[in-house]
Amino acid sequence: MTNIDPDQIKVILATDCGSTTTKAILIQYVDGEYRQTHRGEAPTTVEKPFADVTMGVVNSVTEIAELADRRLVDDDGRIISPATDTEGCDIYISTSSAGGGLQMMVAGVIAEMTAASAKRAALGAGSIVMDVIAANDGRRPHDQIQRIRDLRPDMILISGGTDGGTTGKVVQIAELVAPAKPQPRFGSDYSMPIIYAGNKDAREAVSEVFDEGGFDLQIVDNLRPVLERENLGPARDKIHDIFLEHVMAQAPGYEKLMSWTGAPIMPTPGAVGDILQTVARLQDINVVGVDIGGATTDVFSVFEKTFNRTVSANLGMSYSISNVCAEATMPNVLRWVPFDMNERELRNHVKNKMIRPTTIPQTREALMFEQAVAREALRLAYKQHKEFATTLKGVQQQRTVGDTFSQQTSGQTIVNNMTLDLLVASGGVLSHAPRMHQTAMMLIDAFEPEGVTMLAKDSIFMMPHLGVLSSVHPKAAEQVFDRDCLVYLGTSVCAAGQPKAGKSCFKYELTGDRTASGEISGGEIQLLPFEEHETGTITLSPARGIDLGEGAGKKVQRSVRGGTVGLILDGRGRSLTLPEERSSCQATVQGWLDALDVYKEETEPVGV
Amino acid sequence: MIRALVLLLVLLGFQPAMSHGETLSLSGPANVVAEDVPNDVGGQVMVKWSLSPDDRVLKDGSHGVIGYVIYREVLPTAAGLESGAETPAGQGYELGFSDDFDYEANQPVGSVPYSVNQFLDENVDAGMTYVYAVAASGVGNSFSPLAVADKPVVAEMQYLNLGKLWFFIIMMLISIVIIYFVFYAKRGGTIKVRPIAGLEAVTEAVGRSTEMGKPVLFVPGILDINDIQTVAGITVLSNVARTAAQYDAELKVPTARSLVMTTARETVEAAYLGEGRPDAYNEDNIYYLTDEQFGYTAGVQGVMVREKPAACFYMGAFYAESLILAETANSIGAIQVAGTAMPSQLPFFVAACDYTLIGEEFFAASAYLSNDPEQLGSLKGQDVGKIIAAVLLILGCLLATLATVVPDSKPLRMADMYITNNILGEDGLVPNELKVAILDGELEQLMEEDQDAQPAIDGGGN
Amino acid sequence: MAKAYTPGLLVTRHKKHRIMRRLPISGDVRVKINDQVNAGDIVAETNLPGNVHPVNLANQMSLPPADVVACMLKAEGDAIALDEPMAQSKGMFGMFKNTVKSRFEGTVETISPVTGQVIIRGAPLPVQVKAYMSGQVVSVSEHEGCEIEADVAYMQGIFGVGGETQGKIRVVGSGHDQELTADLITDDMAGCLIIGGARMTVEAIQRAREVKAAGIISGGIDDQDLKELLGYDLGVAITGRENLGITVIVTEGFGEIAMADRTYAMLREFEGRVASINGATQIRAGVMRPEIIIPLESVPPAANEGQFEEGQLEAGRLLRVIRDPWFGMIGKVSDLPAKPHVLGSGSKARVLEVTFPSGEKAIVPRANVELIEE
Repeated sequence: MTNIDPDQIKVILATDCGSTTTKAILIQYVDGEYRQTHRGEAPTTVEKPFADVTMGVVNSVTEIAELADRRLVDDDGRIISPATDTEGCDIYISTSSAGGGLQMMVAGVIAEMTAASAKRAALGAGSIVMDVIAANDGRRPHDQIQRIRDLRPDMILISGGTDGGTTGKVVQIAELVAPAKPQPRFGSDYSMPIIYAGNKDAREAVSEVFDEGGFDLQIVDNLRPVLERENLGPARDKIHDIFLEHVMAQAPGYEKLMSWTGAPIMPTPGAVGDILQTVARLQDINVVGVDIGGATTDVFSVFEKTFNRTVSANLGMSYSISNVCAEATMPNVLRWVPFDMNERELRNHVKNKMIRPTTIPQTREALMFEQAVAREALRLAYKQHKEFATTLKGVQQQRTVGDTFSQQTSGQTIVNNMTLDLLVASGGVLSHAPRMHQTAMMLIDAFEPEGVTMLAKDSIFMMPHLGVLSSVHPKAAEQVFDRDCLVYLGTSVCAAGQPKAGKSCFKYELTGDRTASGEISGGEIQLLPFEEHETGTITLSPARGIDLGEGAGKKVQRSVRGGTVGLILDGRGRSLTLPEERSSCQATVQGWLDALDVYKEETEPVGV
Repeated sequence: MIRALVLLLVLLGFQPAMSHGETLSLSGPANVVAEDVPNDVGGQVMVKWSLSPDDRVLKDGSHGVIGYVIYREVLPTAAGLESGAETPAGQGYELGFSDDFDYEANQPVGSVPYSVNQFLDENVDAGMTYVYAVAASGVGNSFSPLAVADKPVVAEMQYLNLGKLWFFIIMMLISIVIIYFVFYAKRGGTIKVRPIAGLEAVTEAVGRSTEMGKPVLFVPGILDINDIQTVAGITVLSNVARTAAQYDAELKVPTARSLVMTTARETVEAAYLGEGRPDAYNEDNIYYLTDEQFGYTAGVQGVMVREKPAACFYMGAFYAESLILAETANSIGAIQVAGTAMPSQLPFFVAACDYTLIGEEFFAASAYLSNDPEQLGSLKGQDVGKIIAAVLLILGCLLATLATVVPDSKPLRMADMYITNNILGEDGLVPNELKVAILDGELEQLMEEDQDAQPAIDGGGN
Repeated sequence: MAKAYTPGLLVTRHKKHRIMRRLPISGDVRVKINDQVNAGDIVAETNLPGNVHPVNLANQMSLPPADVVACMLKAEGDAIALDEPMAQSKGMFGMFKNTVKSRFEGTVETISPVTGQVIIRGAPLPVQVKAYMSGQVVSVSEHEGCEIEADVAYMQGIFGVGGETQGKIRVVGSGHDQELTADLITDDMAGCLIIGGARMTVEAIQRAREVKAAGIISGGIDDQDLKELLGYDLGVAITGRENLGITVIVTEGFGEIAMADRTYAMLREFEGRVASINGATQIRAGVMRPEIIIPLESVPPAANEGQFEEGQLEAGRLLRVIRDPWFGMIGKVSDLPAKPHVLGSGSKARVLEVTFPSGEKAIVPRANVELIEE
């Protein structure tokens, strides 16, 4: 890793090697601030026949070089660094999710405690967690062993026990893993890396278990030294190290790529998490980010400085579309579609999309259906996220007699839509929606934000690049994130509570670059024009029982920011309920879509 | 006194002598009626009479009649021959009482003081025919002639106590509701049980113990197994043991009663078996300490201090030891879950423990934990029963209050009476005519009083 | 770009096909280089380590874990039979000895003084790897597996369920657009690969199972029928491990859709030949499609494989639309506009113009077509 003074960095080149495309961006220091100036794309070249990831990287960088008219790759096909005035870059950084990303198996003693912490550490580091083995996961030991045997993870993280806590159980877990002899995914010649991050008293015993059998045991600090505190840092760092040393080194061409980069290569989702954390820290806000892909949906959140990430495997828009429909059930998907569809045909369409994942909706009806599926996929993914992002479990509670009738268990979700400040969307169906209004509507319907929330989308999926950049130059990362990465859709003002249909829900008064005032009634959603770069202050007076951020019926004043969509005033209530009856449901949804001008015909469509 | 006696003698003088051995100086009661008490198993006969004319305060302040003596004869019936033993010897099968009735030799079935005109004979056999007679008794072993009931009475057993028909109706109602909810739950209907944090926390507490490598301590209270709280505690123990078996945590149960120990062992073993972990069950972890309240407390405290359990459960009946235990466990940093129906101990547990099950919650635990449709259904059904009881209670209080405030409203009084005597009392479905008559009388009296008062008011107005 | 890369499914009359046959763990390879193997031959076998049964002796004997080792009657590596005494406690004055019998058969793998747990490993599970495709062994990696090569006719399906099997090709029905129904399947089709035309019904599949056919192949299937067949709604297209007793391959997609002419003609041509099929489908990074492999006895003369470059989209190429509103229709590329078009959905995408046999023309996004190799 090269150590460069952040102030000296003027030209930054970043790539993200995805499983299908390699995306490169160029960030330059222009007029006193960092801006993303050019981007390039090329197919990823990890698999045969190319089998060298750097080819894709060089191709994408060459595209940038042409656009920027700046030589970035030398004649030997290497990226030029450091930069001179006319060529090269000061630092080159990269992320990778090629080859399915980082896949891990984690184990702990209790599923809700140390195993959950281990999962959090693994997810936070950007890996996919294939399975969680715990003493109480309900499986018999031989089933667990069979499962470990069947999985081919890149590495295994074992935790368990507080410091000074159980030794026996931790060793038992180790005794499950060792005889199962899990095989690493790539190459049979390297030994399976195992990270032990459990009870420090059990280290010796665990080492003995993994003494033979071709394991590479690494010991780090306990990630749950006491049940009241989580210490995920050391385990996360170790995962990154192993990712680079073992996993990446096995993939074709990565060794070369690693020698080029000025900062360690990160798994793509880990980098996305990093940029969101950086932004949340620098701006002191709560952020939720979502990346909906073809197979999986990642949800990231930073609430009260606590970062969480979940991967909802099998909730996606192409490979997993059929699973979304099965999990959410067809009626739940169809409630967002304001017209009748033939269910049998629809089911076949869904399956055809599953087996031919690259097709795109051609008609408006197909698009509306796909976006309905997206709403459900996001809703389910966010639900899973809320269930996972909790306070620690197994913690002693302090009570007073006043708590007699209000006892709550620990492990409540820390996700609070009311305190959410920024909701960032990325992933095909959200960022490539023909109209931004559709993206905004999908976000509001699926995430049901409450109070005043800023909506944004990642313009060209730049977050991974900025995540790595944030580890080198947080300031530059934040500037680019704010100015170029995010496309602000607008601000949503959503009433929590159950407003009565037709009765007043809240009154608003907007001052600043634009003035407006009015009233939103229950069940109604409205769009106020409020353009990008416009700011203002909104004063909200909710009706009785309606909460907009300060408590039921309390007046709220917030500064708001415009966007490509505008200011969305939502009086539909939370949780959002749609009429059961099909025809009135269609009418309701159609009303909402019309109010927000979601499916406007912009140009004469072709081929319909 | 003597004058009174003389007067009595004079008054009674012309009465023919009907028995011998005693002075028959009093006039007897009249209209003796013996009736079978309805809605019973046939063990009671009600005897009523009109008071003797002598039953009054004499001039010297004494009572002419001290009391009434009730006699009974068994009439031989086809079925009653065997009970001839009760027939006084030498009486033959003659009907009723002999003329020369010996007040001394015959044992009365009971006696009542003066001014009382009825007697409940609770010592009869169903199916027998009895003849009753009543005599007034006076000072100095004086008696009135026997007044014999004009009809014999048969004490009959009723299969249905119609007086408690309302009780039956309410019971049926609640049963039907329970059955309905049981079937509803079995058919997959959802019965929502409010989350009870204390029970949700069981997995958390046991998990904590597992992670920390420390035992789980379960204290089933200090009362024996016949106390319902101990039983409820054992139900929770079963759940804790299941979780402990799943999590492979060590579970310790010190008991204060040997029977509780046996029950606890059975329960825990069954739980471990149910989880397929019979090998993880260790009988020695469930042991008896002492019956002595504070000996036991000290013992449990000792376990806490030595073994530092990471989770402590207190489920059962507790007295003064509650806070001692809870404070000790708090000091060693254990998660504590308490459950008791002892109102005086609840505040201590609430303050010192992480979670507390209060009264009903504690008893509902088993339905809550098992999620068994039958238990859930009956829980819901019982709730409906409680609602009915609460509604009756509120309605009754309201009506009683209103009836007092507006005493001359017949509907109110009637409704009040109906709830008191019919629904809650033993008058059956139909209001008791007598009571209605009395009420009517009272109301009439009230009306009259009102009318009496009316002119005065009018006059005042002029 | 005047051409665009839009890969279709591979359907070829001749291909040198090489397959890798690997053991999950190291074992014995039973063939040598240049051996001729038949599809059903076993080429390698090994024993998987048996199932593991942990027994917590410390609890069973009420002993501290460290004392368990001293009580063991069996040492690590010893074989143990069912109900054979495994450990005995010291007891008191030589009496009250507590004996624990083994509830499992196998070998004692480890005795842990930390957990008091004894791990017994059951009998090894034999694993055999079959050749799957008739051909010649071209390479052998010792203890791991071998590679088999053959000249084959090769067809990829779009989706399948069920694993590897082989059987004689048996075409039923009259054409590539005839629905495959139960009445077309007769009792003499045991062990056959039944080839239908258009959609196959669930009754047909059930019937094929009844007559013990090895596989059933047709153009399409209804989602509802698939759900009925599997017993659950398939969420993610990763298949191959279903235990249906029959391998099902769909060549075109879901719904009423006829098998491609060329595929059908080829299967018809090879009727009576033994083919190897595998329904395993994995639509993720590293796509796996179901396959039909027909080993050839003689290499056919190099036929004209078409005037087009493989996978390249050019005017005049035959293609299939794979998304509604023209799902399943076949036509020829008539124009490849360079500029992105705005679709009915409002999105911009690169499109092409297709002319259907009826003469009707349509604009379709390039992402929604699939080339048909001629």
